Amino acid sequence: MNKPLESGLGGTHFIRIDPQRCEFLVPRWAFTDQAVLDKEREEIFGRCWLYVGHASEIPKAGDFVARKVGGRQLFLWRGEDGVPRVYFNTCTHRGAMVCREKQGNAKRLTCPYHGWTFDTRGGMVEQPGASGFPDDFFANGAKDLISPAKVEAYRDFVFVNFDPNAVDLTTYLAGAAEYLDLVADQGELGMEVTPGEQVYSMRANWKLLYENSADGYHAITAHASYFDYLRATVGVFREDFDPHDVGGGGKSLGNGHAVIEYQAPWGRPVAQWVPQWGESGRAEIARVKAELSARLGEQRADRIANWNRNILIFPNLIINDIMGLTIRSFQPVTPGYLEVSAVSLAPRGEHPEMRAWRQYNFNEFLGPAGFATPDDVEMLELCQQAYQNMPEVGWNDISKGMNRPDANQGDDEVQMRSFWIRWDELMGAAR
Amino acid sequence: MALLTRAEVEDFLYHEAALLDEWKTMEWAELFTEDGEYLVPPTDLPDADKNAALFIINDDHHRLVQRAKRLTRRTAHVEFPHSKVRHTIHNVRILEQDEAGLTVASNQIVYRAKRQNLDTFVCHTIHQLARTADGLRIRSKRVMLDIDGLRPHGMISAIL
Ligand code: FES
Ligand SMILES: [Fe+2]
Repeated sequence: MNKPLESGLGGTHFIRIDPQRCEFLVPRWAFTDQAVLDKEREEIFGRCWLYVGHASEIPKAGDFVARKVGGRQLFLWRGEDGVPRVYFNTCTHRGAMVCREKQGNAKRLTCPYHGWTFDTRGGMVEQPGASGFPDDFFANGAKDLISPAKVEAYRDFVFVNFDPNAVDLTTYLAGAAEYLDLVADQGELGMEVTPGEQVYSMRANWKLLYENSADGYHAITAHASYFDYLRATVGVFREDFDPHDVGGGGKSLGNGHAVIEYQAPWGRPVAQWVPQWGESGRAEIARVKAELSARLGEQRADRIANWNRNILIFPNLIINDIMGLTIRSFQPVTPGYLEVSAVSLAPRGEHPEMRAWRQYNFNEFLGPAGFATPDDVEMLELCQQAYQNMPEVGWNDISKGMNRPDANQGDDEVQMRSFWIRWDELMGAAR
Repeated sequence: MALLTRAEVEDFLYHEAALLDEWKTMEWAELFTEDGEYLVPPTDLPDADKNAALFIINDDHHRLVQRAKRLTRRTAHVEFPHSKVRHTIHNVRILEQDEAGLTVASNQIVYRAKRQNLDTFVCHTIHQLARTADGLRIRSKRVMLDIDGLRPHGMISAIL
C-alpha cells in the first residue's frame, strides 16, 4: 500500500466500491495517518457546519460557555440584546484567551494580559493606556473580537462554519433537519440542556466513533452484558417486545448525515412507559403522550414516542433519541485520540420524577461509566491498536446490506457508507 | 453507644478498597445496605442533585449490584481481562457520627492500568455508613473527581 499523500490524497478516491460484489472498503490508514487528519482539518472541519452548543445553555443575557470546536477555542456568549454569538476565544491584541471560565455570566470580559475589554457584541470598548495608538486605531471595530465566518442556529442548536462560502445551515442539514425537528418538538415549552456535562475521551480515531454511533450490527455481541442487565431489571422489558423485530432501519440523510430508527424495550421519558416507573410514572407518560398528540397530531406523536433514533450529523455531532436524549459532539486531537462532550437534553418544565428517570436512564447505557459505552470504547480502541497491522492488513469492510439497498435493516451499514462517501468527496474536493 | 474510632473506620475503607483491587465486586456490592447507592457526579458539578443533573454514575442498589455482576463477566469487554486497579486512601475524617451511622470523608487515588496506559483518578469521597448488626454497611458512596473531565482516562470502567 502506498502512503496516502502519494496515492489517496492525490488521487480520486480513498474508498473502494465494487457494486458487482456488493463490497465497500475503507483504507485503514484513514484512521492512523497524521496527513489524513491534517487534510480533514482543512477539508472537513474547516468547511462543514460544526455544532457548538444549545441556546438553552446560555439562557440569560451575558451568559457564556467556552467550547473547543474543530480544533479552535470558541465561546458562545449571549448578547445584552439577547442574541447568541460565537467568538474565537483569543484577544485581538496578543492572543490571550479572554474567556477563562468554562461558563459564567459577564457584561464585559477583560483580557488578563494587558486589559483590553470587550462587550457582548465583541466590541473592544476599553483599553488601559490608550496613548501610543493613533486616534482612529480602534475605529470601525478594527480590534473587536472575531467570530467564525458563519454562525447559525437550527431549533436552538447553534453551529459555526469557518468557511465564508459555505451553504446555509438548513441546506447543509438536508434530511437531518427533519430529525432535529423530531427532537426539538418533544417539549411543549421547548428543550433545555440539563446541568452536568460528561467530559471524556477515547483512544481512537474520531471516525470510529461516528461509525459506532449508528452501528446496529455490534449490539448483540459488544453489548451482551447490557442485555443481561436489562433482563435482570425486573419490569423493564415490555411484555410485547420482540427483540428480533426492531422495525425501521438505517438511512442516509444526505451530505453524510444518517439515521437509524428502531424500536426498543427500554423506557423513553417521551413517551414509552416501563413498569419500573410505577403508577405515577404511567400517569405522567400518558399525560405527556396526550399533550404530544394534541399539539402535533396522533401520527407525529406516535413517531416521536414509539421510535428510537440515533441521528448522525456529519461530521461530529450525534444525537441519540433513545432511553434519554443525548447531544454528543467529539473532536479529533490526534489520529488516535478524540475528545467527547455529552449532555442530556430534556423538555423544559418536565415533571421532576420524569426528569430523574431520564437522567437515570442516560447513565444506564450511555456515558463514560454506563453499561454499554465503555464496551464501545474498548471496541474502538481494539480497532485503533490493531490498525498497526498495516500495511499487511489494510482495509476495513463496510458492505453489510449492500445486496438489499431498498430495505436497510437496523443492523446494516448504509449509514456508515453514507458517511464515507461524503468524507471521500470532501477529502478529494480540494485537489 | 461506643463511638467508632478513625482507625476502625479506616479498616472498613481499606477492606472495601482491597475487595475492589482484587475484583471481588460481588463481595463489594454486599457491603451496601438494601437502599445503598453509588454516585459519581459530573466533574463540573460535584455537589449536583442526581435527580436533576446528568451524573457519570447514578446507581441505586439494584444497579450497583448489576454493575458488580457485569464486572464478573467476560462480556464486560472493557474489563476483560481485568485491568490492574489500586486504591490508596488518605486524609480520612469522621465528619459526623451518631447511633445510626457515620459520615466519613476521605481522599482517594485510584490507579487503573490497562494496555500500556495508566489512568489516575483523584477523588474525594464521602461515605454514609450505617451501623448494623453485621457491622458497618455503606448507605451511600459519593465519589467526586478532582479532575477536569475524564481526559485522558475516557471512562470509569472499574469501580472507584
Ligand atoms: S493580549 Fe489581550 S490585552 Fe494584550
Ligand atoms: Fe455500542
